[in-house]
Amino acid sequence: MPPSAKPSWRSCKALFINWDERRRTLNQPELKTRREFLRTGLLGSSLCWTVPGFLQNTMLSLHAAADGQIVQGVTGKDGNILVVLQLAGGNDGLNTVIPVGNDDYRRARPTLGLREEQVLKLGQKEKAGFHPALAGLAQAFGEGYLTVVQGVGYPNPNRSHFRSTEIWATATDAEKASSTGWIGRYFDNACAGCDASVGLTLGSQSPQAFSAQTPKGVLYEAPGGKRRRLGADGEPEADGSMTMATDGDLEEGPAGGSIGDIPGSAGNINALDFLERTEMDVQVTQKEIAAASQRGKNGATYPGSSLGKQFALISRLIAGGMKTRIYYISQGGYDTHTGQANAHERLLREMGDAVAAFLSDLKAQGNLGRVTLMTFSEFGRRVQENASGGTDHGAAAPLFLAGGGAQAGFLGEMPSLAARDLDDGDVKFNVDFRSVYATVLEKHLGVKSDPILGRAFPLLKAYG
Amino acid sequence: MAIATLPASAWDKEKAGVLLQRAGFGGTPQEVEALAKMQPWQAADSLLGPPEIPHVDPPPSILKPAIGDKLRTDRNRLKLMDPKVREDKQREINRALKAEQEKRLTDLRGWWFQRMADPAKAAREKVVLFLHGHFATSEEKVRNPAVLYQQNRLFREKALGSWSDLVLGVAKDPAMLNYLDGAKSRSEHPNENFARELFELFTLGEGHYTEKDIQEAARAFTGWSVRLRSKPGEVMDEETHMPSFVNRPAWHDGKPKRVFGKTGNFDGEDVVRLTLQQPAASHWITGKLWRFYTGTPPQAELHKELVAAWEENQGLLRPFLLAIWTHPEFYSLGSTRNRVKSPVEWLVGLCRQLERPLPAPAIASEITAQLGQKLFAPPNVKGWDGGITWINTASLQRRYEYAGWLVGGTRGARNLTGMDLGRLAVQSGLVEIPIPTIEGETKDEKTLKKEFAQKRNAAARQAREVLAISPAPLAPLAGSAERQDPDRLVAHLSTRLLPGETAPPELQARFKKAAGTAKPLNDAAVRQTVLAIVQSPLYQLG
Repeated sequence: MPPSAKPSWRSCKALFINWDERRRTLNQPELKTRREFLRTGLLGSSLCWTVPGFLQNTMLSLHAAADGQIVQGVTGKDGNILVVLQLAGGNDGLNTVIPVGNDDYRRARPTLGLREEQVLKLGQKEKAGFHPALAGLAQAFGEGYLTVVQGVGYPNPNRSHFRSTEIWATATDAEKASSTGWIGRYFDNACAGCDASVGLTLGSQSPQAFSAQTPKGVLYEAPGGKRRRLGADGEPEADGSMTMATDGDLEEGPAGGSIGDIPGSAGNINALDFLERTEMDVQVTQKEIAAASQRGKNGATYPGSSLGKQFALISRLIAGGMKTRIYYISQGGYDTHTGQANAHERLLREMGDAVAAFLSDLKAQGNLGRVTLMTFSEFGRRVQENASGGTDHGAAAPLFLAGGGAQAGFLGEMPSLAARDLDDGDVKFNVDFRSVYATVLEKHLGVKSDPILGRAFPLLKAYG
Repeated sequence: MAIATLPASAWDKEKAGVLLQRAGFGGTPQEVEALAKMQPWQAADSLLGPPEIPHVDPPPSILKPAIGDKLRTDRNRLKLMDPKVREDKQREINRALKAEQEKRLTDLRGWWFQRMADPAKAAREKVVLFLHGHFATSEEKVRNPAVLYQQNRLFREKALGSWSDLVLGVAKDPAMLNYLDGAKSRSEHPNENFARELFELFTLGEGHYTEKDIQEAARAFTGWSVRLRSKPGEVMDEETHMPSFVNRPAWHDGKPKRVFGKTGNFDGEDVVRLTLQQPAASHWITGKLWRFYTGTPPQAELHKELVAAWEENQGLLRPFLLAIWTHPEFYSLGSTRNRVKSPVEWLVGLCRQLERPLPAPAIASEITAQLGQKLFAPPNVKGWDGGITWINTASLQRRYEYAGWLVGGTRGARNLTGMDLGRLAVQSGLVEIPIPTIEGETKDEKTLKKEFAQKRNAAARQAREVLAISPAPLAPLAGSAERQDPDRLVAHLSTRLLPGETAPPELQARFKKAAGTAKPLNDAAVRQTVLAIVQSPLYQLG
């Protein structure tokens, strides 16, 4: 804290809010971290206009030692963790996990199709291989940390980004609507007494999957978002490069297509109540996150991409003992109607390299066994490529489960691409996406899935 | 079915404050008082101003890009260059073009903010803001500020007119044709993107059309495209300088189509007409407008009333908006407590209520972007979800932080912390970027990068001063009478800043604590009180 800022800090005392009183009125259970927070009394400073934001490294370092002791006591190191990676815009599953020796594929993709010698083979007996940009994932597959679930979708597929994303988020039948998301219902059912930070989204929009009766989950971005690193004299560094000033500074890449992250909404909840709760959550969780990300260290080299930085942060939070059970991140740009070949390759490379680094980091930490990463996209793309060097909205597609717990290999059947087997030109599903959710909920997070998903879905033979 | 209207006897200052807040961007006690003296309908009508389409001068940089046009004509000559040199030259050009584009977009945003903050224009601009979210189109795909300006102008001109004119205008709008791929859609491969969103998001809502309707409608729209720029020899005035709508008959699918159960040799105009004849059409737009202005979807009975009012007015926006704004439900507590201000409303409203100038365009744009609403860059074609999705742990803390800036100013050691000043300097035109020429010397990437970084850093230092936010003037907020008594100051400021709201006791206590007990209140105490009110959950509603 530069000396010049100190006086104004003190002059803001009038703004201190009595949080003990607020908490009583809101009838919140008193938690250890909240108590600790109130004692250190960082709050007042953050409401001063001359003191920027809640995440001040100087202040954090003053309190770092104390943080360590107190938060460690309530970390729940034994808990399993789910990381959800949304590939927003509709990922072309057929050019991600590519059928080998398939004439229908070759015919449907005269220009976009990948030739057999380009495809990364995964083993003698497998009838499918990876896009060449997914070398990192192919390696993870070889080491036994990656599962491919083929042909994931749902009956009566919807080809609207928003509706299909909503269906995946709410885990309802395509004809039904729900105001809560599947992860939100997990919070409602299994995490009633948890802090809001049981769910953590990196980004600025809460995913619809988090919508709950009692909204939980926090968003994390450093205040001010992208910022440049300041040199010791408070001036920008001479190289002029865009560098990350704090751990949470996430550089966003340009959105390639029209679809970026897809926002969600909480259920029917009074806006004022929601605002009051959020105000309280801000105070507590921002500090928890900053402390955990300082404590945790990365044991792998991540790509410099936005996604790489996000995965590096999640890894540090896990290593740092954050109590979060569900992490949610999103990579946009998969809506490749035109000029798909280059854009898709870039996206997959960014994704695959980041995920591979994350997995090897978790392995080095010894946390790989308790973490599952699940990818999903609102739909795959049409089998037949279009005239603009792209593909249009489709239906079923493969998804990835990664982590130490998940059984490696292929699950589910690769759907047929023969014209007579397609649904209006699109791949039919073999595995309902809710079977994937049910499997993760039951076998990884250890909760009963039917109260969350509305009914029982067959479990996959993962986590053997 | 007659629509309910608020009786004149129920009209008071509190309701006038709600009207000013919701129909526009809020304002001063004097403005509220003036509205309170009118009849409700007259008050609402006065906000919309005269019926004529206003004359508008666009921001100068939109009409005349310094670099863009020259380079486009040079592009062909690039192809003849040595590949190694060409790559460097291309990078140099791209950097310059990108910098200019950022600057033009920032000018455009700042220009729009100014219009919103103008009391005579605010209500129409608010409709434009609604339309921008409704017919969401993003610069991230369109990549042309002039085209986005054109769309913004279309919204402004048609904001109070006929809905069908507006929808048709949007269907032919170059930005939309680009954003939803209509411009490239040809009979051999009709692109379904626009047809789908026309039905799903713009006019009907899900469940009121079939996949087949989309496919057939997409065929009808083929041929509606964009001509990028004027032909040689044409006068480069505002109209011809910009990309324009063009109908390409050779691309059009002239065969019969079947849309909504009717068969014919339809074109785009036919599809828009058939779509708006669907019963779902009145239901959709009336519900969306009600929700935009009140924060909650209309209950079934109310919705029937709204649809009747819409149809009675034949889909004219002005009389329908007046019907909404004079409806008793518009002022009910259930509706006032449930509407979260969007970041743009929050920023413009706060400046208006504090009677302070808007921050510099680059800062104003960055503030709303950081709060989740980057103008001309909605997250996707669905626009911003709004409501409580504006609020999350990250955005709420930023609202409080930026409120501090706007109340207390940002001068001092840690001025504008967290802002990328280098980027804001580029956006503000503080970094001079030489116009690259094909003939000129070609510098390698490393040199260029270094030069640019040096300039940027110098400009960033300058930006810290140039873009600093001044403290809000206190004179309009507290007179000597209010300064005599903390309770009176809190009451006075609450009425000004929280129209139609009564702060619950715990919040009152928070405000009073900020005001302190010393009499008379000094400047610091007044500022703290203002800050306590705007840094509260209640202030986020409106």
